[in-house]
Amino acid sequence: MIEVKDITKKFGRKEVLKGVSFTANKGEITCLIGINGVGKTTILNAIMALTPIHSGQILINGETIKKESFEKITFIPDAITMLPNMRISDAMEFMDDFYNSWNQKRATELLGFFKLKESDRISDLSKGNTAKVNLLLGLAMDVDYILMDEPFSGIDIFSREQIADVFTSHLIEDRGVIITTHEISDIEHLIDKVVLLDNGQVLKEFNAEAVREDEGKSVVDVMREVFKA
Amino acid sequence: MKRYLKLVNFEFNRIAKVYFVLLAIVLVSQFAGVIVESKSYLKEANHMIYEELMPKAEFFLQYGPMSLERVFASIWFFGPIALCIGVVAFYIFLIWYRDWFGKNTFIYRLLMLPTARLNVFLAKLTTILLMTLGFVAFQLILFPIESTILKWMVPKDFRMDMGTLEVIGSFRELQMIIPTSFIEFILYYGAGFAVVTLLFTAIMFERCYRIKGILLGIGYGFLAVVLFFTPILIQEFLQNHYLYPSELLLLEIVMGLIVTCCSIWTSSYLLKKKIRV
Amino acid sequence: MNNIKFNNRDPVYVQVVRHFKEQIATGMLEPGQEIPSRRELANKLKINPNTAQRAYKEMEEEGLIYTERNLPSRITKDEHVLGSVREELILQAVDSFVNSIRSINVPVDEVLYLVKEKYSAEDKN
Repeated sequence: MIEVKDITKKFGRKEVLKGVSFTANKGEITCLIGINGVGKTTILNAIMALTPIHSGQILINGETIKKESFEKITFIPDAITMLPNMRISDAMEFMDDFYNSWNQKRATELLGFFKLKESDRISDLSKGNTAKVNLLLGLAMDVDYILMDEPFSGIDIFSREQIADVFTSHLIEDRGVIITTHEISDIEHLIDKVVLLDNGQVLKEFNAEAVREDEGKSVVDVMREVFKA
Repeated sequence: MKRYLKLVNFEFNRIAKVYFVLLAIVLVSQFAGVIVESKSYLKEANHMIYEELMPKAEFFLQYGPMSLERVFASIWFFGPIALCIGVVAFYIFLIWYRDWFGKNTFIYRLLMLPTARLNVFLAKLTTILLMTLGFVAFQLILFPIESTILKWMVPKDFRMDMGTLEVIGSFRELQMIIPTSFIEFILYYGAGFAVVTLLFTAIMFERCYRIKGILLGIGYGFLAVVLFFTPILIQEFLQNHYLYPSELLLLEIVMGLIVTCCSIWTSSYLLKKKIRV
Repeated sequence: MNNIKFNNRDPVYVQVVRHFKEQIATGMLEPGQEIPSRRELANKLKINPNTAQRAYKEMEEEGLIYTERNLPSRITKDEHVLGSVREELILQAVDSFVNSIRSINVPVDEVLYLVKEKYSAEDKN
């Protein structure tokens, strides 16, 4: 389980996170939704210790992050984390070199799944294919948790469908996934848990299926209620 | 350790192309220098002796014999060395900033490696060190070759042959780059290493706190320099030459080590707790 | 089994179960027929694997499917259950039909006549 406990953060005088708390379970897809610039990316960065927080605590399987944690949790930011002059094969080799949890077999399978060519240079890829390589680098790791920042933004519809397919496939297995998005409609049926964020705060945290069952509302219905209030 | 070595290998490969181009420039320019300077010396000699009918002995008295010294005084020799120094100095900063800027976000990857983040820092530091020492070693290899070329170019009675050590000894500027004693070598390059570590730490401050970090970095640098020179300052202003120079040197070495360790520790802390992507 | 149009307000697992019932009632799924694993189902219908799991659990509890040891799950052969699935679907459809027709106040005989007309006309097509 990933536990985010009452974290706060300021950029200069601006408070971007005002005591954010939520949990994300293994085997579930948790979706952080906020309309715009509400610190979703900052939360993911904070989980990975890529930005300091001012107070609060983040636990991964009950522990604060340490170097070994990076074999258990991986982060796919919205831009690719490899050098532009690398070929896809170089990037895969780099991962294989540094991570014990890198699964070369799954990486090869993902190449096929996304219809990517190993010999292509990252700088030559289309936006959609860059996003797919970025995703591949995270998904091919045998980790418990995967964080994804806006995996669907700014790419074409076919790439989007392909990426959505990943979520229903064995490629996700029983891992815990946290994704951020501001556009829910593509993935409404795919997610387990929803965390609605606005203005640096969690407005509501709920299970998507439970809200449909108990209240007969769609995720978007709940969003409309919460954000309009 | 394994990941540190892999990182060093990776970091070096990132600059390898530029590095080998620089080595090629040094080689070509210095060899060309030997040839051009030799030719112009011989031309001058020919002109003076055969056209102006100056006696050979008189010519030697006025112009001196041809030697590598003459080449080293030229832009052919110092130009590329200055270029290399400039590139290394520039790369001290670029080696960090290239990971933050541009389309890629490679710093994410570096900070998410399952290894102590200090290893990323040390790998970059090692790369700078390797580049520098590589240049020095390359220059040492070039000396005897340049000496040989000179022998081909200039007849025996017009030249003065010098050994590598002699060559270096004849130039103060060259001694700065390639000290002739091992102790000096360690001291000079140790000091250089300490300075690079200090600069890296200042960069870490800037990367953690941005504009405020520039001030913190400068502040840290100032403090480190003061700390380093404390023994000398005390000696000068208070104790009136209480210590022997050798004791003072030893104390300075200790201070240098302390300052460097402080820088590495501070950087490690910043990378672990305060860094921002 | 392809492409269910999900609505966003009913629980996805309920929609999956209903879809299975329809397939059983229409004979698309036969008694004893093997059904996909929860992973395959999730992938086929583009739903969360946890939801697929939930749907299977629900169907198992209703006796619609059964699992022997580690073998893949199958559609039940129990005539009684199969009969009641058909009945349930018919009743549900009739219920919603009655609900909407009642609001226009049509006499039942007229409705029955129209239903018959419509049915035979569609059969001809």
